[in-house]
Amino acid sequence: MMAPLLAIEDLSIAYQLGDGRDAEAISGFSLHLERGRIVGIVGQSGAGKSTIGKAILGLMGDNARITGGTIALDGTDITRFSEARFAAIRGKRIGYIYQNPMTALNPVLSIGEQLIEAIEANTTRRGGDARAYAVELLKSAEVTHAEERLAKYPHQLSGGLCQRIVFAIAIAAQPDLIIADEPTTALDVTVQKAVLATLKKLAREKQISIVLITHDMGVVAQMCDGVSVLWRGRLVEHGPTAQVIGAPRERYTRDLMAAIPTVDHKRARFDVLDSFEDTPGRRRGIAFLKSGIAAGRDGQSLLSIRNLSKTFDAQGGRGTSGGFRALDGVAFEVFAGETLGIVGESGSGKSTIGRAILGLVEPDAGASIAFQGRPIAEMRGRRDRVALSRSLQCIFQDPYSSLNPRMNAGTNITYGIVAQGLVSRAEAKVLAQDLLEVVGLPRAAAGKMPHAFSGGERQRIGIARALAFRPELIFCDEPTSALDVTVQAEILNLMKELQETLGLTLVFVSHDLAVVRQMCDRVIVMRAGRMVEEGNADEVLTAPRETYTRDLLAAMPRIAFEDA
Amino acid sequence: MAEADHGHRCGRTDETMTNFILRRLGQSIILLLIMSVLVFAGMYVISDPVAVMAGEDATEADRQALARSFGLDQPLPIQYLTFLGKIVQGDFGTSFVYGRPVLALIFERLPATLEVVFLAILVGLAVGIPLGIYSGLNRKKAPTKVISFGTTVGYSIPNFWQALLFILVFAVWLRVLPASGRGPTTEIFGVGWSVFNAEGLRYVILPAANLAVALICMQTRLARSGTQEVMYQDYMMFARAKGIARSRLIGRHLLRNILIPIVTITGLELGTLIAFSTVTETVFSWPGIGKLLLDSIYRSDRPVVVAYMILATLMFVLINLVADIIYAILDPRIRYS
Repeated sequence: MMAPLLAIEDLSIAYQLGDGRDAEAISGFSLHLERGRIVGIVGQSGAGKSTIGKAILGLMGDNARITGGTIALDGTDITRFSEARFAAIRGKRIGYIYQNPMTALNPVLSIGEQLIEAIEANTTRRGGDARAYAVELLKSAEVTHAEERLAKYPHQLSGGLCQRIVFAIAIAAQPDLIIADEPTTALDVTVQKAVLATLKKLAREKQISIVLITHDMGVVAQMCDGVSVLWRGRLVEHGPTAQVIGAPRERYTRDLMAAIPTVDHKRARFDVLDSFEDTPGRRRGIAFLKSGIAAGRDGQSLLSIRNLSKTFDAQGGRGTSGGFRALDGVAFEVFAGETLGIVGESGSGKSTIGRAILGLVEPDAGASIAFQGRPIAEMRGRRDRVALSRSLQCIFQDPYSSLNPRMNAGTNITYGIVAQGLVSRAEAKVLAQDLLEVVGLPRAAAGKMPHAFSGGERQRIGIARALAFRPELIFCDEPTSALDVTVQAEILNLMKELQETLGLTLVFVSHDLAVVRQMCDRVIVMRAGRMVEEGNADEVLTAPRETYTRDLLAAMPRIAFEDA
Repeated sequence: MAEADHGHRCGRTDETMTNFILRRLGQSIILLLIMSVLVFAGMYVISDPVAVMAGEDATEADRQALARSFGLDQPLPIQYLTFLGKIVQGDFGTSFVYGRPVLALIFERLPATLEVVFLAILVGLAVGIPLGIYSGLNRKKAPTKVISFGTTVGYSIPNFWQALLFILVFAVWLRVLPASGRGPTTEIFGVGWSVFNAEGLRYVILPAANLAVALICMQTRLARSGTQEVMYQDYMMFARAKGIARSRLIGRHLLRNILIPIVTITGLELGTLIAFSTVTETVFSWPGIGKLLLDSIYRSDRPVVVAYMILATLMFVLINLVADIIYAILDPRIRYS
């Protein structure tokens, strides 16, 4: 029997910490990959997936080292390779596809140069021959207008195109193996589907094996022959994809599967542990919120948007009628007590709607945005502005940059309401602690700085900050898209919990139809600045009327759940 | 097909360099106009030139005659326009001290300054960038610590004291280089340069080295911090994963990115050095324009000072324009936005 192309045996990797101690990142990981097969490595962020990928390429940082085990490529152990020997196999025998195509390409060098240098480094083709081959590669990676793209720079191309160019670079020397580290995480679903199909096609045509590193079980289901589940640096479970997804043996894999939202059916809660204890502080916090968030007005129109358009001037395009129409005649209402979802791909204008509501962009003339019956364009006085900003709050996408890093968690939560004079400084301290308990964090968390928290915990702090204003409406801009699926499940559970307890009104923007299905009562589907479809979330997401919505749904990577 | 559409949206890639340069030139003219107003105000409004020129025992009639002969009896806006009109025609007036056209005076001294400054800048870039890249790549090695210490010291030494030290060591103790003055010059395109003959070059070395020390330190620091930042970018790891040679990784992927801030700072530094190397030129008795400026301030030779300020502004504007053009060549994100 022939040896597998890649055989990882009992691999352990440790990172050296600042104080000289080692922290084990990977322990006892094994993996076998035959030629022409695709294997997935899944797990949460921090599980060590990328570390394994980098170890195969010898790209780990200076502070990481392999403490045990072997990585054999065609029978040769590469763990002791020098930088020079690694350089000889990188690009030639092992290709690499990086997570974010927009940052994988050098911003100041042209696409052509970056592709041709890879060709010249790893093949015998030179000059005009290398250039012709570059065009050929781009075509096989399904890049349109291949010839013209060579002269472009990364920022001029979309994420999907950049990723196809990264593919072309990775396959340039016809390697035996490609390490694909989250190849589609940064892309829209429809683009993701096409890009994955291209990757699979290339692998099949050129008999390339792929190690696909991902957090997305849907991608695994679509792509992989086998899958290894990683948790905190340890291999939890591995086997054929259908078996691991369909009948997971291990507790962790089952939890991981349970945390995945599906668009096909709505669940009351995700099956993950929530840590709400009924403490006096939490009760006090909820009472505070309830007394301010006017409940019992269900069904009343809270926000009314008519004829909302927004044209961004094309730069340098003076005198032309051009300009980019980000929003085109958008109109909808938000009723008190409901959750309205806005879905669409990037560039569809969903975030611009939010910015217009929050007053961060000036809509085109003729638009009307009315809050509680009053046009917000008329609310110009300081008192009106303060009242409006109290009533409209926002939960942001990126939990890492949306908290002030120089304030502790408690101050982050209350500085806004203190500045507006809604509570006194003395009250704020206790209130912050109460609110932390409301969102499932301990009271002691108030004194810690943002960097001491995980992404999920920070997002809880962000939610507490928005709640502190006791707003009439909370605008949630992709609140879970930066989070792991299990953390996402926890946050969604928390938001559902608060929604029910407090009768919140939410506008929930997301590119993820499954998340929207779990959270929303009604949904608006956006495409290129226009509303394509609007209606009851259950209907729109299970029996869409419009082709575009159907395409979006079809593009979602799906997992066949036995109970679905 | 969202992907294909995107490509067309960015189809306006021919928003050309010419456009960019024209736009910048337009802005530069506005800046020059503002500067001319400031200099004019400084010269004619804040103090009374008639009083200075006429002396204390002049009669009222003398003063009026003097004012009329210099056009100072005209309303201010008319005076400003006359002043501006003369400058546009290249007439910056005549030096009180030398009795010669100011412009000729400045251009006569300019080559001496230029050769010292450009030599210093070249040395600064040629030494500083490699040192900076080396120490950025090898943070923990011993030479890096030496470089780091050296740049801190070099940057902190006062310029005049360092110049005296140079004279003491190389001219007085070792007696290998001349201490002051400019050596013999070689005529090229009708201008005398001393860097192009061996004897003249010996005179240039000390003043140029005096300017170069700070430049080397600055370029080293810029290149080092740039390297440390760029090396951690995803595209550098991806470039390594492509299997390209290390020389290409450093010489192309890294260098192109770290040059962007270096170009900006070098441009600013170049202007400052040309216009205001007064300390170095004074200590080494180097007959450049910095020394001319200092002498003219001492002797209240105001036409020279005023012309100097306007020309310095013009030079800063042009250097900035060139720096911006290089910047745009280096960074396509600027070029195509």
